[in-house]
Amino acid sequence: MREKVLEITNRTLEELKTCQDSQALEQLRVRVLGKKGELTSILRGMGQVEPEMRPKVGQWVNEARETIENAISESQKEIAKREKEKRLQAEAIDVTLPVNDRSAGSLHPMTLVLEELFDIFTGMGFEAVEGPEVEFDHYNFELMNIPKNHPARDAQDTFYIDDNIVLRTHTSPVQARIMTTRKPPIRIVSFGRVYRADEADATHSPVFHQLEGLVIDENISMGDLKGTLDTFARRLYGDGVTTRFRPSFFPFTEPSAEVDLTCAACRGKGCRICKDTGWIEVLGSGMVNPKVLEMCGIDSKKYSGFAFGMGVERLANLKYNVPDMRYLYENDIRFLKHFRG
Amino acid sequence: MKAPMKWLNEYTKINMPAEEYARRMIMTGTAVEGWENTAKFTNVVVGYVKTCEMHPDSDHLHVCTVDVGAENDLQIVCGAPNVHAGAYVCCALEGAELPGGVKIKHGKIRGVESFGMLCSGPELDVPSDLYPHCGEEGIILLKEEVKPGTDVCEIFGLGDDVIEYEILANRPDCLSVWGVARESATVLGEHFVMPEIAYNEKGKGKFDDYAKVIVEDEVNCPRYCARVITNVKIGPSPKWMREYLHGAGVRSINNIVDITNFVMLETGHPMHAFDLSKVREQTIVVRRAHEGEELTTLDGKTHKLTGEMLVIADKEKATGLAGIMGGEESEIVNDTASVLFECAAFERGNNRVTARSLGIRTESSGRFEKGVCAETAMQALDRACMLVEMLNCGDIVPGAYDNYPNPKEKKIVKASCERIRRRIGVNVDVEKMEDILLSLNIETELDGDTLTCEIPAYRVDIEGEADLSEEILRLYGYDAIPSTLMNGVTMAGKRHEAQSFNAGVKRALVGMGYFETQSFSFVSPKWIEKLNLSEGDPRLNTVVIRNPLGEDTSVMRTTLVPSMLNSLSLNMNRGNADAKLMEISPVFMPAENDGELPKEVPTLLIAMYGNGADFFTLKETVLCLLERYGLKPYVSAGGDNYYHPGRKALLTLRGGSVKLGQMGEIHPDVAEAFDMTARAYVAEIDITALKNCQLPIPAVKPLPKYQAVSRDIALVADEAVPAGDLMAAIEKAAGKLCEGVKLFDVYRGERLGEGKKSLAFSIIFRSPDHTLTEQEITSAMDKILKTSEKNFGAVIRA
Repeated sequence: MREKVLEITNRTLEELKTCQDSQALEQLRVRVLGKKGELTSILRGMGQVEPEMRPKVGQWVNEARETIENAISESQKEIAKREKEKRLQAEAIDVTLPVNDRSAGSLHPMTLVLEELFDIFTGMGFEAVEGPEVEFDHYNFELMNIPKNHPARDAQDTFYIDDNIVLRTHTSPVQARIMTTRKPPIRIVSFGRVYRADEADATHSPVFHQLEGLVIDENISMGDLKGTLDTFARRLYGDGVTTRFRPSFFPFTEPSAEVDLTCAACRGKGCRICKDTGWIEVLGSGMVNPKVLEMCGIDSKKYSGFAFGMGVERLANLKYNVPDMRYLYENDIRFLKHFRG
Repeated sequence: MKAPMKWLNEYTKINMPAEEYARRMIMTGTAVEGWENTAKFTNVVVGYVKTCEMHPDSDHLHVCTVDVGAENDLQIVCGAPNVHAGAYVCCALEGAELPGGVKIKHGKIRGVESFGMLCSGPELDVPSDLYPHCGEEGIILLKEEVKPGTDVCEIFGLGDDVIEYEILANRPDCLSVWGVARESATVLGEHFVMPEIAYNEKGKGKFDDYAKVIVEDEVNCPRYCARVITNVKIGPSPKWMREYLHGAGVRSINNIVDITNFVMLETGHPMHAFDLSKVREQTIVVRRAHEGEELTTLDGKTHKLTGEMLVIADKEKATGLAGIMGGEESEIVNDTASVLFECAAFERGNNRVTARSLGIRTESSGRFEKGVCAETAMQALDRACMLVEMLNCGDIVPGAYDNYPNPKEKKIVKASCERIRRRIGVNVDVEKMEDILLSLNIETELDGDTLTCEIPAYRVDIEGEADLSEEILRLYGYDAIPSTLMNGVTMAGKRHEAQSFNAGVKRALVGMGYFETQSFSFVSPKWIEKLNLSEGDPRLNTVVIRNPLGEDTSVMRTTLVPSMLNSLSLNMNRGNADAKLMEISPVFMPAENDGELPKEVPTLLIAMYGNGADFFTLKETVLCLLERYGLKPYVSAGGDNYYHPGRKALLTLRGGSVKLGQMGEIHPDVAEAFDMTARAYVAEIDITALKNCQLPIPAVKPLPKYQAVSRDIALVADEAVPAGDLMAAIEKAAGKLCEGVKLFDVYRGERLGEGKKSLAFSIIFRSPDHTLTEQEITSAMDKILKTSEKNFGAVIRA
């Protein structure tokens, strides 16, 4: 009897090795361990076994069952693992297949540059303010010391709505509005769209953007203006970038200065972008003309201030090298997709 | 403004290369645009043609032996028919560069060696007013017997550097050779030396015997000076004068006209010369034009004048536009015998308006509108007389006419040295300040901290302390400005509230794959018309630009839609498969009352077309965006005419009391009008309403602990019943325990009957504090069924 049990055990273990899937395994289990299985039938035929042998046979069979069950369980795990692997393999995909029609979205380059400028100036304690784009001549020109028929108006070809209302030619009227309604200290940046009667071409647009800053307080000097713009230059283009002031004229500032920044592309060594000068003209600035302060109701003996302004398109152009200004306003998606932010 | 170096050097010393000079001028506030040599060639010398034989292998070429002042004569092949032995010619030597980038090399012409080139006028680009014979056929044959080897520039009066300045609007005094020479002298630390003005009055009689001047409008003509010249001999100007004029960009005409131009360029005072014989009754009247009066100017154009315009007239009629352009009638001609020179000051505002409204811009009007100093008008006229004598082209009649009723008083400006220092941020001591001011011909007196300055009449720009600060700083050097930190209270920087909000909205949309656009604020009224708005729609009433660039940019937009449709159309027509775009910009609604500014209303536009674009994708975007601000709009069918009648929706908030906007598919007619080739979807949202209605993020509630129960029902309703409305009613009827309602199926079929649809909803119930009982759910479902039937006629599907 012992031989028979051993024979079944060994044969089963042998057969187990050939089982390739869980189905075959189950069949084998039923054949050997099932109710009518080979091993079970030995227990069933216990009646024919001599009584003193019965515990022994029982023990042999149980030991054999345990061995087989363990072996089957092992095989089961093995097969399950193999089957899972097979399934995962079958589920493999070609990850290089393209994704169609995605749209990542982006802000407009003008907004991207403005956001950067805002971060810099709000970080320096400036408050960003806004004003109307259709503006009174009074704020746009007269309070900026540009009276009617002043030749300086030629430089800013103006769109008129009527004799007293214009499309603002610069963001300075916002400054005038602040100066006439607030008391110093004032530290603001105004920004937005401005309008000049220039036909649109690669380098001109009748609609463009400006950002201007204004500081009014006691004892503000040209040195403070330089300090502020030096900081601005470093934040914009990194350490080592500085400013160069050149005398100039604006009706609303005195003294006035054109401000060049170290060319960010060549760090002042001279390149194609800065036409070998090492400098890029970026800003107009100066000390607020006392006449402007007085017209706005600020005591020019007590207070002084500085103002500066820059064209945002110019900065965008320096940053992104936009080959044609019209790109900025025709909204071809291929151009817009160039940006990310 | 252009000024030849030689001319400048007559009055000061500029002893340095143009580049260095330009740098120093720029850094002290005079913009130098560039410089150019008047000679457009190099290495061209006078040659003497010793022999001239026919080329052995040609019927028109000549082989010449040319003496160019060097040891060896040159053999040169020349094709010009007028070349001959004994001629003095312009010979371009080997290595010469000619206009147009031509370089002269030695070479063989039909087998004969040639070591240079004999040049024609056009080949050297010599203007005929400088050298009259150079325009003739063939090569230039010099009239002078000049030593071979001499640089031909000397003969033509070329070779000088001409500096081009861009004079700033506050420095009209620099719009002249004297002006920039004076400024250069200050900058370079040199002296400015004016010519000594003296001449003899050789003419017979006196001014009044020849002419009479009546100034009727002394406001617009604050000064009028005149002189009479008799025995005028019209002829060419001398070479030096032609050379200077050419350098400054003015063509030489004849001696008298050249003198007026020369004086204008040199002194900044525009002048005019009248042929006295053509002036009726020899009387000059300075007056306003009669309304509608006609005048033909020197350029042959006839203008109709208005009563504001200042004219120069004779007894009968207007003959010239004061300070702008003379008339044809009294023009200087070859037989002009007596001349009246005018040197006047005209009011700049009036001058500018007249010039602009007639569309004329001349050297003269350009100067007057920037401001010409009345004080120095007589000096300029004297300079002209001096030149008449120098050129020996007439006799100056004794006595001048000068009407200058209100001479300007001496301009005194007081300034505090301390305040100047504080302003410029540079510690300049008083002595240095006084030195600088003196170099600008500003006499100063110091009393304590106060500088009293006498400003020269020509410096119209210096009016106060701030102007003196600039003068001191620019000549001290802007490089000296230190970089300092502002003192005083620290200020918290911040953004404009609306601007921050808009930035958030834009960022949210970028996250959903949209690209921000920017479009012009002005549009064509036709584009708005294309939207097919109802009559009386406020958007049809626009703010109109009085002087637009063109119709397409002539009115301020009252809606962003046309701009966006144009952007979409542009993308479609350029073959871009799809686009998701958005823009936040103001629209401009006319003010209710005259004299007020239009209302600027910021508006958000979202648009899409192409792959995956349909009404519901856009609706998803809109709802997602609103959800970010805690808002769930009420969506109902409806909207403007430019949307598809069956695919448009109104968005409202707070029970319909707040109109948030609208959205839909663009109507095919409108799409066609905008040349759009695909269906497009647009949503318009009032960003201010969105900002005002936004809800704060509420406090967090505990997450539910109890199981949710869901019940499905299918309701049959008329086709016209809006599913959204029914769904909202179900949610409301279900009461507090309802966590949400989902529409999971819409079915239409024969069995339901025509005009019917079945809507299948899944309703989810949950209580925060207990497990729901069957009774609670049944009661809620009953209410749902009742409401559906009562309000929508929707019954449970059999």
